[in-house]
Amino acid sequence: MKRSFEAIVVGAGPAGATAALTLARAGVDVALVERGAHPGEKNMFGGVLHRMPALERVFPDFWDRAPLQRHLVKKVLTFMTPGRSLNLEYETESFDRAPYNGYTVFRPHFDRWLAGEAARAGATLLTRCTVEGVVREGGKVAGITVLRGAGELRAPVVIAADGVLSFTAASAGLRRPRFDPGQLGLGVKALLELPKEVIDDRFGLVRDQGASREFVGSSSGVRGGGFLYTNYDSLSAGMVLHLDSLRRSGRTPYDLFNAFLAQPQVAKLVRGARLLEYSAHLIPEGGYRMMPELCGDGILVAGDAAAFCYAKGPNLEGINLAAQSGACAAEAVLEARQAGDWSARRLAGYRRRLEATFVLQDLRTFHRAGELLEIDRLYGDYPELICDFMDRMYRIDGAPKQSLLKMGLAMARKKVGTANLVRDGWTTWSTI
Amino acid sequence: MINVDDLLDYTSFTVDREAHIVLDPAHCAACSHRYCTTTCPARCYAWSEKDRKMSFVHDGCLECGTCYAVCDSHAFARWRYPRGGFGVSYRMT
Ligand SMILES: Cc1cc2nc3c(=O)[nH]c(=O)nc-3n(C[C@H](O)[C@H](O)[C@H](O)COP(=O)(O)OP(=O)(O)OC[C@H]3O[C@@H](n4cnc5c(N)ncnc54)[C@H](O)[C@@H]3O)c2cc1C
Ligand code: SF4
Ligand code: SF4
Repeated sequence: MKRSFEAIVVGAGPAGATAALTLARAGVDVALVERGAHPGEKNMFGGVLHRMPALERVFPDFWDRAPLQRHLVKKVLTFMTPGRSLNLEYETESFDRAPYNGYTVFRPHFDRWLAGEAARAGATLLTRCTVEGVVREGGKVAGITVLRGAGELRAPVVIAADGVLSFTAASAGLRRPRFDPGQLGLGVKALLELPKEVIDDRFGLVRDQGASREFVGSSSGVRGGGFLYTNYDSLSAGMVLHLDSLRRSGRTPYDLFNAFLAQPQVAKLVRGARLLEYSAHLIPEGGYRMMPELCGDGILVAGDAAAFCYAKGPNLEGINLAAQSGACAAEAVLEARQAGDWSARRLAGYRRRLEATFVLQDLRTFHRAGELLEIDRLYGDYPELICDFMDRMYRIDGAPKQSLLKMGLAMARKKVGTANLVRDGWTTWSTI
Repeated sequence: MINVDDLLDYTSFTVDREAHIVLDPAHCAACSHRYCTTTCPARCYAWSEKDRKMSFVHDGCLECGTCYAVCDSHAFARWRYPRGGFGVSYRMT
């Protein structure tokens, strides 16, 4: 096997594959190193691929090429308590045509396709290679070592795109050696098989239309929420649980997940489905605060490895940030290559590029949203309050009616107390 | 319904004989919370109060990293991903 390259990318997820694709297209001799038997074999996520400007630039016909399931036309946010729920449903015609706003995908298919495109563009794809750490030479990163077998690979620059745990960034000293469970979310997911017609019926869809449903108040008081996304003939059902809240609760993720699936509003959507696969993965939820050093001498960090993910905005976004950051990292490498200088100072063009895109701008916008999501009442008291209110508004039982505002305020005061109400109101106002 | 005891029936694995996670049992015996036993989504950790012993099985490990993040006692003599080609193998997801 060839042992030296002009650049090495660790991890063939969306960040790494996009970086390798960009470099290969520019004529760089790049290796894309992945531990799975094929790219995507190790990867899971909720299921929504948001619009990807970085890839649409490379593939103007992205939606005809990529292995996609359904495009999303309907988004539903549900506040629920056992037996009751309020749905906010948004549906738009404009999401029903190209450029589509988002799709459901399977990672083992999508990642494999994207890495395949990088290989077709000239990147050397090395699978079944678990990277152990970086090799240094004169204080600079000069390559990587692969666990058993392949040994050492050399290049003047390495892009660490190996996901949330990034042992590559850790071995280069760019991320802190330990994780804070308060900055992580655990996602568990079940892929549930259902006939296409049944999915269309239950979710009100036709053709390749898809729906995404998110549930707040469905996690038995643990911070987090549930989701249901429609694939072509299966559903992705899962939960994202704040790791610190989960460990303190003493509950197990699968018990919480089973309780979610058993709630009547969810149970009727998944009824009769056959379990095809169960998976789990961590999510870097710490945002800005969790970000490692983005570059060092001969190394850059992209995607989840750099905590470019937000589970705290209105959507769970990660793949789009990963791809965009991979493209920015590759461009910074091209710039450094032209100057023949791989120092951290030269590679710092990476950060400037990120600042100019939605990656760092959105991360900053949602920087404080975490505080909002740290209000435990959001996962129990508030969904209950909302359902109580809807109940009083709609129930006809002969009792005289009150003005809605007065009724709402009185109920809120009783449920969470005036002081908490003011505090939470302030947090909401100042964070979003 | 998910029953993690039947995990190997629906999620595929290529199990390596050599474990990618190795525990130092002394840490677990002294641990005050054993968060790994409840948070691991594949129930790879089981604590026996009677024997005061932690048993860990790596076969059904989903390589999620949760145990690595919740253990604050540095109990791992080794925690790395399986070598190339081994471990969990998602087909769809
Ligand atoms: C439950 C859940 C739901 C999510 N839902 C969504 C969603 O709906 N929409 C969205 O956009 N994002 C979502 N995300 C986030 C999204 O999955 C990530 O942000 C995204 O996958 C990050 O891409 P990446 O390329 O940086 O890392 P990854 O996708 O993690 O890829 C890293 C790659 O590196 C490889 N690798 C790791 N270590 C090594 C090593 N030592 N040697 C060799 N290879 C290695 C891995 O096998 C993997 O292929 C979700 C995440 C989770 C967990
Ligand atoms: S949390 Fe760490 S020390 Fe405690 S029981 Fe689990 S592995 Fe052992
Ligand atoms: S990595 Fe995840 S699945 Fe594997 S033992 Fe640790 S917590 Fe369990």
